[in-house]
Amino acid sequence: MHILVVEDEPKVGKALMEGLEAEGYKVLLAPTGEEGFFHASSHNFDLIVLDVMLPGRDGIEVLSTLRKQGARTPVLLLTAKDAIEDRVLGLDAGADDYLVKPFAFAELSARIRALLRRNRAEPESTLSISGLEVDMVKRTVVRGGHRIDLTVREFELLEYLARNHGRVVSREMLARDVWKETARATPLDNVIDVHVARLRRKIDDPFETKLLHTVRGVGFMLNEEPS
Amino acid sequence: MSGLLRSRLRTRLTIFYTSLLAVALLLYAACVSAFFLHNLREQLDASLDRDLETVEGSLSLNSDGHLEISSHEGETDEDELDNGYLLEVWSQNGSLLYRSEQLRDQGLGPAPGKVQGRVQESATSLRLPFGMRVRTMSRTHRLSGGDLVLVRLAVSEESLWGEFWEMVAVLGIGLPIVVILVVVTGYLVAAHALRPVDSMARRASEINADHLHERLVINNPDDELGQLGNAFNATLARLENSFDQLRRFTADASHELRTPLTAIRSVGEVSLQKQGDEKYYRDIIGSMLEETNRMTRLVDSLLTMSRADAGRVQLHLTETGLLDLARESASLLEVLAEEKEQTLRVEGDGSQTVMADRTILRQAFVNLIDNAVKYSPVRGEIWVRVTDNERNVYVEVHDSGPGIPLEHRSRIFERFYRVDKARTRAEGGAGLGLSIAQWAVAAHGGTIELQCEPGPGSIFRIRLPKQMVAATPTQ
Repeated sequence: MHILVVEDEPKVGKALMEGLEAEGYKVLLAPTGEEGFFHASSHNFDLIVLDVMLPGRDGIEVLSTLRKQGARTPVLLLTAKDAIEDRVLGLDAGADDYLVKPFAFAELSARIRALLRRNRAEPESTLSISGLEVDMVKRTVVRGGHRIDLTVREFELLEYLARNHGRVVSREMLARDVWKETARATPLDNVIDVHVARLRRKIDDPFETKLLHTVRGVGFMLNEEPS
Repeated sequence: MSGLLRSRLRTRLTIFYTSLLAVALLLYAACVSAFFLHNLREQLDASLDRDLETVEGSLSLNSDGHLEISSHEGETDEDELDNGYLLEVWSQNGSLLYRSEQLRDQGLGPAPGKVQGRVQESATSLRLPFGMRVRTMSRTHRLSGGDLVLVRLAVSEESLWGEFWEMVAVLGIGLPIVVILVVVTGYLVAAHALRPVDSMARRASEINADHLHERLVINNPDDELGQLGNAFNATLARLENSFDQLRRFTADASHELRTPLTAIRSVGEVSLQKQGDEKYYRDIIGSMLEETNRMTRLVDSLLTMSRADAGRVQLHLTETGLLDLARESASLLEVLAEEKEQTLRVEGDGSQTVMADRTILRQAFVNLIDNAVKYSPVRGEIWVRVTDNERNVYVEVHDSGPGIPLEHRSRIFERFYRVDKARTRAEGGAGLGLSIAQWAVAAHGGTIELQCEPGPGSIFRIRLPKQMVAATPTQ
């Protein structure tokens, strides 16, 4: 998978490049809009991560020119602007998704996966992580041969963690994707923490191997080994 | 003229009043002069009438049909006529019997023709061909001999006109002097009356953002300038208030941002001075990220509020059942109450709906319930009650916390205001929850108030009008 990252802030660009490379992507970093546009129109990328606020040629401009030239590469816009009209502007210009700075890297990674996955086969109906079986169709959870009863919310939480197993999931992602909370200012962190604690009590406490880990300062991860 | 209209107010006022006065004075002078002239002529006519009688009495015809003029005192009438009197006497059949020598061949008017019965002509003014202006009067007279004659007597008007022009001259010199006096005093008076405007303007131009506490000096609050000054001072007071709020907000916001920044910095610096294993560094990084998250949340809240302040939040109104919304908000936070073994109840009959933006209004509910859970003790009680009257719907959030001390009540809706600073920061709040709630409710035309009741427990009461009148988000 080949990803082009267009980002002018060197620290952010380097962090994105290293983070994505650690996830197994091949990454090319372009520090200006012109360079980004040059690479995007001369190579075939699987995805472009495009900053909106760029010196010279801004991201929206680069994007709309690319789209006019017929490029279909999925584009994920990064911006510090959170206003609705900016989001609309970006999506109108042909962006496939939109992420507001500052964002959690886990969230960027999840969205990139979602964009790359978009035209693939339908998701699996059952996920299995170290003996924890999550059946998404029957909505049942079994571990070590024992059926575990979960509330609706707990199941949705587990399902989301299972779909992203092995990767960190931030509280913002959970708030948006599991709790469907659009207002970022709503105080949900405590609620999420309580739910995670309850889920952990049900799926982990009776067993030797712990699966649900808290990654301090970042979020949660469902994995056999803490990373 | 347009130049004058643009000139200073006092100049314009002076010009206006002076012109009015000048026109009035001119009219007055014209009337006075006309009346004076009329009076002079009446006097002249009266004396002319008397003189005519005298002349008539001295007329007689001698035997050969010639006219003789005798005077009372035996003097010849020629002297009298020298004094400016002119005389013409016509016989009954229209022939000239006598004419003063000064008249030479000019008559005092046309030849009368045959005199028929009595004739009495009113006095008229006349300019003789050699330039003299005279007043003339004529009438018939029966001589002692029985003959009827027409007597015409004229007297010079020169002295009358002399008097008249003298009078006009007096007026003509006096009036401009009066007008000039009026211009000068009027300008001074206007300048005096408008002096407060000058001083107000000077003072107002000195007031800037750093001196907003200053006010205009008002001498008489009841006059027009006083009202203007009061209005200006009221504007200044509002400005000062907004500036103060803004200043406080900026100071508080930077303080709130500085706290996590300081934490990140010191944690980072200290950890670099030490040697540690991977776990140690992971812990350090995690702790720094926690602070970053706190900052992110704070910036999100600030962004929400700054957009609200700028009036840039568009409400997507739908018919919203308030009991449903309260239940939804409560169920979101239910786990928090369960952890503290609190009971969280939502009461109401579910009939109350308002047009509202669910997402925004829910923020208010969630923030209030979140506070209630936070401040109620373990095994405490929290209940949310939805009621209404004919005009408003009320949503009350009761908690069983310690209550809010009186001295804090007026300020709890202010941004970053905390009753107990240490405690709330530990629980992750930045003191913005209530101000966001207040904004969310105000955007729907409602209010939030803290019901003041003695003893423990607080009641926050949201009032929402059933008919949303005007959505004016306030601070």
